[in-house]
Amino acid sequence: MRFRADEIASVIQAEIENYQSQIDVREVGRVLEVGDGIARVYGLSGVMSGEMVQFPGGTIGLAFNLEENSVGVIILGDYLQIQEGDEVKSTGKLLSVPVGEAVIGRVVDPLGNPLDGKGPIITTERREVETNAPGVAQRKPVTQSLQTGIKAIDAMTPVGRGQRELIIGDRKTGKTAIGIDAIINQKDSGVKCFYVAVGQKESTIAGVIEVLRDKGAMDYTTVIVAGASAPAPLQYVAPYAGTSMAEFFMYRGEHALIVYDDLSKQAAAYRQLSLLMRRPPGREAYPGDVFYAHSRLLERSAKLSDALGGGSLTSLPIIETLEGEVSAYIPTNVISITDGQIYLQPNLFFAGIRPAMNVGISVSRVGGAAQIKAMKRVAGGLRLDLAAFRELEAFAQLGTDLDAATQSRLDRGYRMVEILKQGQYEPLNVVDQVLIIFAGTRGHLDKVPITEVSKWEKQFLTFMRDQKPEIWKKIAETRDLDDAAMATVTAAIGEFQKQYAAKAGTPATARV
Amino acid sequence: MIESSQANKPKSASVNVGAQKVGAIYAKAFLGATEAAGKSDLLVEELDAFIGALDEFPKLEAVLASALVTHDEKAQVLDRVFAARLSPLLLDVLKVVSRHGRLDIVRAIAQEVSKLYDELRGRVRVQVRTAAPLENALEHKLVASLHKFLGGQPQLEAVVEPELIGGIVLRVGDTVYDGSVARQLHQVREQMITRSVHEIQSRRDRFRHPGGN
Repeated sequence: MRFRADEIASVIQAEIENYQSQIDVREVGRVLEVGDGIARVYGLSGVMSGEMVQFPGGTIGLAFNLEENSVGVIILGDYLQIQEGDEVKSTGKLLSVPVGEAVIGRVVDPLGNPLDGKGPIITTERREVETNAPGVAQRKPVTQSLQTGIKAIDAMTPVGRGQRELIIGDRKTGKTAIGIDAIINQKDSGVKCFYVAVGQKESTIAGVIEVLRDKGAMDYTTVIVAGASAPAPLQYVAPYAGTSMAEFFMYRGEHALIVYDDLSKQAAAYRQLSLLMRRPPGREAYPGDVFYAHSRLLERSAKLSDALGGGSLTSLPIIETLEGEVSAYIPTNVISITDGQIYLQPNLFFAGIRPAMNVGISVSRVGGAAQIKAMKRVAGGLRLDLAAFRELEAFAQLGTDLDAATQSRLDRGYRMVEILKQGQYEPLNVVDQVLIIFAGTRGHLDKVPITEVSKWEKQFLTFMRDQKPEIWKKIAETRDLDDAAMATVTAAIGEFQKQYAAKAGTPATARV
Repeated sequence: MIESSQANKPKSASVNVGAQKVGAIYAKAFLGATEAAGKSDLLVEELDAFIGALDEFPKLEAVLASALVTHDEKAQVLDRVFAARLSPLLLDVLKVVSRHGRLDIVRAIAQEVSKLYDELRGRVRVQVRTAAPLENALEHKLVASLHKFLGGQPQLEAVVEPELIGGIVLRVGDTVYDGSVARQLHQVREQMITRSVHEIQSRRDRFRHPGGN
């Protein structure tokens, strides 16, 4: 096939006829110096703080520092093409990103440009990157639960829709895994998910995207990538950009979940920018307003009032600590901003307790309001029981002879710890969680050897789904476990115990 | 391409923001003194001539800017070279600047003086860039309409830039009014690209499997 020249000419002619000539009025400045992702610009006398400016070649910048005789600009993109003396145009607009259904399922950079090779993002809707958080009158208390699919979290530190729950821990303790599991578990729940990767290795991000795609989670997830090789300004802007994309759904009355992985890297990027801009350094060389950088970001997660549609934005910020040091500057800041934290510890991780959550110091300030009734009933005292067990366990290591009551409490504790272990990328339905925790806390596993607990659990859950679907369905519908239901579950467990013993060949005996 | 035309860069070397800030203070004092003496026109012209002399004799500038040469020596040099050529008032100003060890920023002071003096006299500097030299009649018309638009007396600084193809680009302070043909062609090009991209994408969507890739 060949194009006819006159056909193309007529198209171009139509374009030119449609073109309306206007005088282009713009305010300009001149680059004095450029480097390390920032530029100092002379001129631009009328530019506003946070305004978008444009460099030749289309690179975007943000007016960051307004000084008496110059403007400090952070460059969102390739700063190597910009030279001293280049003309900088002000645009009169704030930075915005494309939002809406079009970004779902995509991998984008913090400016909303696609990185996944699936073509441009076609949407007319845009949202400013920096917007105000909803005020007091626009909010409602958090009451709906957001199931993460992780037994330990849903039972003991439940997360509600609109809550900010911090995931904190050393490197390699499974912080990202919790965020990813929570995203995978949102399948069929209608919650839109956003994963913001800040300062992560590109290979790690590629791995995460692969897992999400494998598990079918990319159908409702957007990944915002500012990898370790991205310039600091992009890493700084990425969480705000992701929040804008997520907020769009919140203000439309839908539910969204956003994982910031991780905010320590964003703080480091912000520190870099601030120091380059010669803002005075404070504690740990962070600028004075690093608290505000995080608080204004996390305040945008909210549960909206019914008048505004009742949408919600839940956030799971991640903070990496060094050697368990939670009293460092950024961890204390973010702990004080969020509504609770999940604390992961390397010693638990290496002892095989995964997720390596320290139950004693992990909290959720929203608490039971974010749990379904059935879970509240079965897991009510679990946190305290486990804390007591840990104390007792430490004590029991000293002596040898223990009385029967203490021994049985220890046995129960070992089995509960075993039940709360869970593999990566295997989120569990909340009904399954209720059933297995019920069986554990009521002592139905006390006679099962510890090494067989996970096998027992797997078979028990299959049994309940296959042979007792009516019980399963009832809990799923009522979301409650009243006394009558408890009795039927207990009976079902008895039935299963017999099957299990028969299959094993020998009656189950307690071994520790 | 409009980006490639770099002629809009001012000719002077890089701007020293710090020197400019200090220069503005000296400039204000200088104009205060000259206004009081009623000789601003003459003295501003003389200051420009002084800068011109520095351009011609870079070694003289080096001596004056050097911190190794004492104030007394600099004052003597100034007296010997310029006493017969410059007004005593300007010479005094230069000596005051020298006493404060600021002769190294005398260029910044001169720049700020001309800026402030323009402001004082209600003059507005307008850089006019055109593809071909402005004709006299057109220039008068332009001055008249700019006078109405800006409120002050426009001082045209004409720059010929064939890359603009046609039309006119005005720069007043930091604001640029761009009515050049080159920019319009550039915009038409951008519009055509964005429109074509949309077109291609929407066609592509039509053939895509509804279940996704």
